[in-house]
Amino acid sequence: MKKSLVGFKKTAGYLALAVGISSALVGCSGESSTSSDSKSADKTEKKVQEIRVVAANHPWTESIKKELPAFEKETGIKVKIDSYFEDQLTQKTSVEFASNSKGIDVVMFRPLQDGKMYNKSGYFADMSSYVGSEKGYTDDFIPSSLGSVKDGDKFYGLPLVTETEVLYYRKDLLEKAGLEVPKTLEELEAAAKKLHDPANGVSGFVSRGKRAAAVTQFSSYLYAFGGDFMKDGKSTITSPEAIEAFKYYGNMLNKYGPKGTLNMSWPEAMAVFTQGQAAFYTDASSLFTNATDPAKSQVADKVGFAPFPAGPEGTKPYNITSWALGIGANSEKKDAAWEFIKWVESKEMVLKLQAEGNPGARISVWNSPEGTAKFPKDLAEAIGANGEAEAVPYDRPVLINVGAARDVIGDVILAGIEGKDVKEAAEKADGEFQKILDSEK
Amino acid sequence: MSGNKPSAIKSILTHAGVYLSLFLFLLPFLWMLLASFKTQVQILDTSKLFEITANFSNYISVFNEYSFLSFIWNSFIVGVGATVFGLILGLPAAYSIAKYKQEGLGLLILVARIVPGISFLIPWFIIFSKLQLIDTYTSLILSHMLVTMPFIIWVMIPFFEGLPHELEESARVDGCSIPSAFVRVMLPISGPGIVTSSILAFIFSWNNFMFSLILAGDNTKTLPIAVFNFISYSEINWGGLMAASVIITAPVLILALFAQKYIIAGLTGGSVKG
Amino acid sequence: MTNWIDRNIKWVFTMPAVIFVALMMVAPVGYTFWLSFHEWSMSNITPPLWVAFQNYLELFQDELFIKSLKLMFYFTIVAVTVETVLGVGLAILMNQNIVGKGLVKTLFLLPMVATPVAVGLIWVLIYEPNIGIANVFLEKIGLPGQEWLTSQNLVMPSLIFIDVWEWTPMIALIVLAGLVSLPKDPYEAAMIDGANTWQSFTKITLPLLKPTLYSAVLLRMIDALKTFDIIYATTQGGPGTSSQTINIYGYVLGFQYFKIGQASALLMVFFIIVLSISIFTILLRKRAGVNL
Repeated sequence: MKKSLVGFKKTAGYLALAVGISSALVGCSGESSTSSDSKSADKTEKKVQEIRVVAANHPWTESIKKELPAFEKETGIKVKIDSYFEDQLTQKTSVEFASNSKGIDVVMFRPLQDGKMYNKSGYFADMSSYVGSEKGYTDDFIPSSLGSVKDGDKFYGLPLVTETEVLYYRKDLLEKAGLEVPKTLEELEAAAKKLHDPANGVSGFVSRGKRAAAVTQFSSYLYAFGGDFMKDGKSTITSPEAIEAFKYYGNMLNKYGPKGTLNMSWPEAMAVFTQGQAAFYTDASSLFTNATDPAKSQVADKVGFAPFPAGPEGTKPYNITSWALGIGANSEKKDAAWEFIKWVESKEMVLKLQAEGNPGARISVWNSPEGTAKFPKDLAEAIGANGEAEAVPYDRPVLINVGAARDVIGDVILAGIEGKDVKEAAEKADGEFQKILDSEK
Repeated sequence: MSGNKPSAIKSILTHAGVYLSLFLFLLPFLWMLLASFKTQVQILDTSKLFEITANFSNYISVFNEYSFLSFIWNSFIVGVGATVFGLILGLPAAYSIAKYKQEGLGLLILVARIVPGISFLIPWFIIFSKLQLIDTYTSLILSHMLVTMPFIIWVMIPFFEGLPHELEESARVDGCSIPSAFVRVMLPISGPGIVTSSILAFIFSWNNFMFSLILAGDNTKTLPIAVFNFISYSEINWGGLMAASVIITAPVLILALFAQKYIIAGLTGGSVKG
Repeated sequence: MTNWIDRNIKWVFTMPAVIFVALMMVAPVGYTFWLSFHEWSMSNITPPLWVAFQNYLELFQDELFIKSLKLMFYFTIVAVTVETVLGVGLAILMNQNIVGKGLVKTLFLLPMVATPVAVGLIWVLIYEPNIGIANVFLEKIGLPGQEWLTSQNLVMPSLIFIDVWEWTPMIALIVLAGLVSLPKDPYEAAMIDGANTWQSFTKITLPLLKPTLYSAVLLRMIDALKTFDIIYATTQGGPGTSSQTINIYGYVLGFQYFKIGQASALLMVFFIIVLSISIFTILLRKRAGVNL
């Protein structure tokens, strides 16, 4: 509030200036009043080192906010966190970076979504010297997750949140129907079919259906059928395997999904699940607290977790770094920013936050019993099993222009959900996707 | 008139038509108000649509968990600033355009109303961040003025055209310059027009989403941005969203109720006068 | 000094406003125009690259652009037509002796002054397929529930419905003000000639209302073409691209795909379309005998 008062004073100063000028014009017999006081000095305020962190609306952000006072006390660096929802965050940060603004010290970003583009556009500061200055600093990080924040040997970020796709299910519903937890996609479909009961407000299955948002959660299905987004710079979304996967995913939502899936990103899909309106749900593991927190979920005590079901080509869930932290290229407080990153990435803090349900990227934390103590046992096992499977380190085509590519592929998913001709949609998308790929050569 | 009966029936039908359409147009607001007092469980249970419980928990959580007071304050400052400066620049311009028939300028101002706002976003952001004005009231007020000022001019031109110009002339005879005659004589009799255009300008600024989306930061976040940010927060909390919607719309609705005469004049004045 | 001001008063009074508009509007539009001949992805390393008309050529081969153009016109034409018809009807009803007319007029103001983002949210809840009142109502009267905003076929009509809800009252109030100021004599003459209500409506009321209607429709059209908040707050152009009007597509191209050049080209085309439609309408209005 104090800040806004300062800003207000400034504005009031301009106001006074403007009124002064106009009153100079207004005087009756030529007398002119002098315009006084324009820039009341508010620059005298003492400069405290304050860094600005631009973050996502994410459970991690909520958790770290509670820890900030300790950091501020310890280092004397004040931390201000601005948080936005994913798309807004990308847009806000990129516009701010592109205008060479110095305002962003630390940025939370999605390595697979924005990483390449931001790096190529020169938005990030090179963190290599910081990372290199601490010996063996990166040894404890999961190697594949480090890969997603590096450009050659250069670090432009540090992995923060990792996730993999798991199956959320309703224990009570399965039990009542005498069903086993599905281990394959075939079993999943059979179980969803059996539990689909729209008359009583329960759908067999729910997952994301909103164009771009669906692509990441569809990826594990694609891999399980033996497909992929691209190979050697060529689109592979019309391969027979990919078509099967599109058909399967679309069919599941079309036949056993709730109404309105086409507009569902994870908050909407999660809401359907936590309101007890769906039996199965596949999404990122890192979102699990939404389902198990009784304050947010009506089925908190009935949620079970299982590894992502196997497809014809085995279990191949994605296992990715969903969020990372970087330093703004134009930041004037890079050292303070690094202090902050070092602190939130420290073993103790990662352990603490992971214990609250924010899966991190440190090997030692995953190996320690405390690291997974607060995770539901079956979820920890599911994450472990996914890790042992042939996990894929990306959940979307790894490109610079991910946004456009996701939309193009999302169109095919949409066609599937609507029960339209998937093959035709895929062929149409194939051309556009290839164009995007070609443009990045 | 041919007897009383048909006209009585006609009157009843007319009343029914008017009030029924009014009810339909107000229904969404009632729905919002109702939902804002419900818990999530009650909202999800469609069998008890109109069950009313006075439950303020949504409002309490909106104010406790999010600093809504400061968002309201931000919106208010920006709205007032954009309106006041819009008046300062707009009133003399409207007066001059009306008096000297500067139709070309009138058109230019109209164009400002026409250009899609989205075309400004990138250039503005670049310019304002060069000036270090992002996340300040100054940049927000300046951008909102591009909405308020043309509107004020648009409403005031026909208004000034309707004023008797002899008044200004007699003030001039008393030794006043044109600007001072304008301020001392013309403005005081333009009260209704100024009130009309200010209220609407304030409402437009209060409702503006697109400009604030890009130019506001944490210190100056206005209500529409705060409410939109509130949407995608880990779960769809309908009660909270509707409470936030009530908070954001209530001030303009109340303003509209009290100032309806002026608003209707503002919306219709420019067009009816022709 | 005072003399100089008085002599040049029409510039002294207008210049601040004109300079402001030039700085805040003309400069950005000029910059957008410049960018539309360049390729740039908001990079700080690679500056904008001159590509001449490439962006425009690509734009007109872009299916999504053509689609967004069609959607914009579809939205505007249907919404404004429905609003005009309903608005005139409502105005005629309200022009009778109505008990509590002042209050009725006031309450009709509410949809148009309410904050669009909030309006969007309210309607998202109303249209919610599982818990929204729209489907509850349909099911009560024995019809199947619809998916509204999440259906590719229904999303545009649903959005148009919101727009109609929001803006019909404005047309109605403008027309009502016009009706009140109409002269009474022609009606009396017509009644003597034995004209019925419908005839006097089409032969007298409508022609006399023409200037008012032109103004109302012009205002509505400009705003309808530019509709952004409501669509952004409800569907963001979805499902798929079924409600991606040109304004939303411009936003997506610019702020989600970072194709600044192409987005700028799109904005220029958009700008020219809106401008020419406005000028065309103003000319029509002039021909109808109304000054700006």
